[in-house]
Amino acid sequence: MKELKEDAVVRCPVCEAVNLKKGQKMQCRRCDAWIETDPKVSLSKSWAYLITAMIAYIPANLYPMLITKQFGTTQESTIIGGVLQLWEHGSYPIAAIIFFASIMIPILKFLILIYLLISVKYPIGKDRKINKHKLYYMTELAGPWSMIDVFVVAILAALIHLSHIEIIAGTAATAFALSVFFTLLAAHAFDESLIKENR
Amino acid sequence: MKIENEDALDDLIICHQCHTLHEEVPIQDGSKALCRECGTVLYRYDSKLIDHGLALSLTALIFFALANLFPIVKIELLGHEQFITIPKTFMTLFEQGFYIVGLLCAFLIFLFPLMVFTLYTAVFLLLKLRRGRQLTKELLVLLSYALKWNMSDIFLISILVALVKLIGYAQIDMGVAFWALLVYVAIDIYLTKQIHLSEIWMLRKRIYEEQER
Ligand SMILES: [Zn+2]
Ligand SMILES: [Zn+2]
Repeated sequence: MKELKEDAVVRCPVCEAVNLKKGQKMQCRRCDAWIETDPKVSLSKSWAYLITAMIAYIPANLYPMLITKQFGTTQESTIIGGVLQLWEHGSYPIAAIIFFASIMIPILKFLILIYLLISVKYPIGKDRKINKHKLYYMTELAGPWSMIDVFVVAILAALIHLSHIEIIAGTAATAFALSVFFTLLAAHAFDESLIKENR
Repeated sequence: MKIENEDALDDLIICHQCHTLHEEVPIQDGSKALCRECGTVLYRYDSKLIDHGLALSLTALIFFALANLFPIVKIELLGHEQFITIPKTFMTLFEQGFYIVGLLCAFLIFLFPLMVFTLYTAVFLLLKLRRGRQLTKELLVLLSYALKWNMSDIFLISILVALVKLIGYAQIDMGVAFWALLVYVAIDIYLTKQIHLSEIWMLRKRIYEEQER
């Protein structure tokens, strides 16, 4: 019989098996996946992905997301421009969905990840454990929904290409898709068990 | 909490939402165990897990095939009829030179959704036949990645958003594939909610251990 403490075990990120912590780089006893237990590695990976995502988010908002070519005239719209257009047309629910998916969720996710990354290293005040886990869980859940606008652009571009009217994706589509992709990587790289270590 | 050896670690489970360590206790067929801290479902017990999983996975695969072969939506714009299919959606991005987004979309709305249920089917089939101990391990590892990156539910909502944008400009007809995709997503949500990967891992352990004896 051996006494087991909660911080002596680690959950495999791949198969969820409970493993005894053995050194900084260990293999899961069930699925053989490599488990990183060194907080430095997971933190710096997460920071690197997050910073890449935030940099990509800048051109995503400056360049056009959607280009409409109609009878010889070309109209370009950015993410925010698209939301405003929908709002003016009276499509309030769709404007709200795009606003949430493309602006609110990415920015909130950046802020929450920055907060989590800092707070596991330098605990600020007495922030309780359960809140941070919920916060992380919610960003994991909401994160992928940012892809809505990219899919919408892809659908419209595939659907509308007549000789008179044509919709094509803009540069922002690439930047935005990359930003979402790297934010997801940053969240996946973040080691949740660190939240507990600084309780 | 005390343990005798590493194998006994399999009787422990860490809540995936609040990270509390629990000891697994046997529960009744068809019931579920909840986390005492946050109330999340920790695991379920279903004695017919393999048959249920296999039936659902095969159904999902059939509907996914239908969703890819037929048009999702048809529109009439200025007297021209246009339609899209799932493959056409990301192929257009390639044609327009958007290789990165095209590749990303191809993975998120086609390759990973396809992989998820192909892998589920293969794993359940192997477990039913009690074969391929090493293979099921590798397939389950792949599955855990594919599950994280399957975005067919988000794609489904995106179709609706795109169509609302077109209301007033074009006449819209939903295609067979839209309804097939809807069924696929429903099964996807139901299955990921009902069957946790850790339950399949536990089942795998039981099956191959019985076999060794
Ligand atoms: Zn593992
Ligand atoms: Zn819990």
